[in-house]
Amino acid sequence: MSKLLEIALGLVTGIGGFLEAGSLATSAQAGAEFGYQLIWAIALGAICIAFLVEMGGRLAAVSHHPLPDAMRERFGIRFFLVPLVAVALVSFLVLASEIGGVCLALQFTTGVAFRWWALPVSAALWLFLWKGTFGLVEQGASLLGLVTLSFVVGALKLHPALHQVGAALLPSLPTHDPAKYWFMAVSILGASVSPYLFYFYSAGAVEDDWDEGYLGINRVVAGLGMTFGGAVAVAVLVCAALVLHPRGIQVDRYEQVPFLLTEPLGRWGFRLFAASLAVACFGAALEIALLLAYLVAQGFGWRWGENLRPRHAARFALVYTAALLLAGLVIVTGLDPLKLTIFSMALTALSLPVTVMPLLVLMNDPDYLGDRTNGWLSNAAVLCVSVVAAVVALVTIPLQIFGS
Amino acid sequence: MELGREVLDQQVIDARGVPMGKVDGVILELRPGEPARVAGLIMGGTTLLWRIHAGLARWVERRLGGEGHVTRIPWHRVLKIGVDVKVDVEAQASPASHWERWVRDRIIGRIPGA
Repeated sequence: MSKLLEIALGLVTGIGGFLEAGSLATSAQAGAEFGYQLIWAIALGAICIAFLVEMGGRLAAVSHHPLPDAMRERFGIRFFLVPLVAVALVSFLVLASEIGGVCLALQFTTGVAFRWWALPVSAALWLFLWKGTFGLVEQGASLLGLVTLSFVVGALKLHPALHQVGAALLPSLPTHDPAKYWFMAVSILGASVSPYLFYFYSAGAVEDDWDEGYLGINRVVAGLGMTFGGAVAVAVLVCAALVLHPRGIQVDRYEQVPFLLTEPLGRWGFRLFAASLAVACFGAALEIALLLAYLVAQGFGWRWGENLRPRHAARFALVYTAALLLAGLVIVTGLDPLKLTIFSMALTALSLPVTVMPLLVLMNDPDYLGDRTNGWLSNAAVLCVSVVAAVVALVTIPLQIFGS
Repeated sequence: MELGREVLDQQVIDARGVPMGKVDGVILELRPGEPARVAGLIMGGTTLLWRIHAGLARWVERRLGGEGHVTRIPWHRVLKIGVDVKVDVEAQASPASHWERWVRDRIIGRIPGA
């Protein structure tokens, strides 16, 4: 495959794969509540995830180790259990959120309550993984994910004041409700810096058998893909800031969200919103279910691979089957998908040091990276963002729970 | 060679290139008057549990009445230690693939299209 095509595919993956239940919900909520003010959090999250995705790809290309495999080997089983449990738990909650997102989109279009859709959606996701190949999951899902560009069209049709959007790229102090402001900021960071993104990307690089020749492509794809992906999230925030914020509508119930696109795009706005929500969450759910299977199988040395038939990687297939079933059951209980999503994002932010630090240590180890170890900038950026996000999450999560 | 760093917790690949698990432990042979010698690798069963929590491992072994499906690979069967540990053993025929086979035959293999 030509390099240009690879880069194009990678960009599509970045754009189509960035937006999912978490970034959609947190961006919409932030825009409705604080106008443009929190755009900086999306930008900061996008920069951080770009660094992490690049690292995940570089580790795979240079060392040929999938991330969980390298972590277990480098740190031993006892320490490996900590990030294993943290990533598995957070990813499972995010998986349930994504399934909830698809179900809500179906509720908006059919009127049938979301909980009834949970198991059919889980089954459809499972069928994709059971029958599909890695290429289908990665490229098919992200190609369809381009429908989320309707938020960009919507945002542009609303004619936002670009100098105000630009000014919000720099952090500023809140004018009201500081507890909620900082809670929203860390939820946005949690949504952008989802560990599933770089764990999945790294696993994909090993599935596709990358070598050092891919390092250039890897850098371009990570940098541009996450920038464009972040831009789609900014577009969601801008729509919310211009449609919901002036009317004083706060996104605390999911029924309020679908009208985000009806003002700029009319009748089609509602359909495009439902399609974007369904497709973005479906794609993310596929990746997360696969990630859980990679994580466990690579951590314990089992046979793994989405391109193998299920019977040739039985335990690997068992993990994603069980994960999808259990996550579907969480939604069957009728738990509010929006609340679950916001909670999962804050928890993701809280767990960042645990999920990110092992990767940073590996990325600075010449035994794995040779002379391709991290530079100071990527170390400092990722370390700062993950520690600050975790500290702010630690302070604001209790305030948010006991305050309301 | 540092055993802890270069062997323990490494991926084990069988003679056909199939992943068969991780190096869960290393068997040392204690010889009176001489330095200890590495006798082989050990994987599966309760091996890993002993390294996580000895009390838990003891409890599980009492419940199981044994150490479960343990695979011991003598050192002369270890072919190469690089990114992975290559061994001259067939995963298919070894206890290391017991649970993989069990899940395949009892659960995954029974679902259509597997």
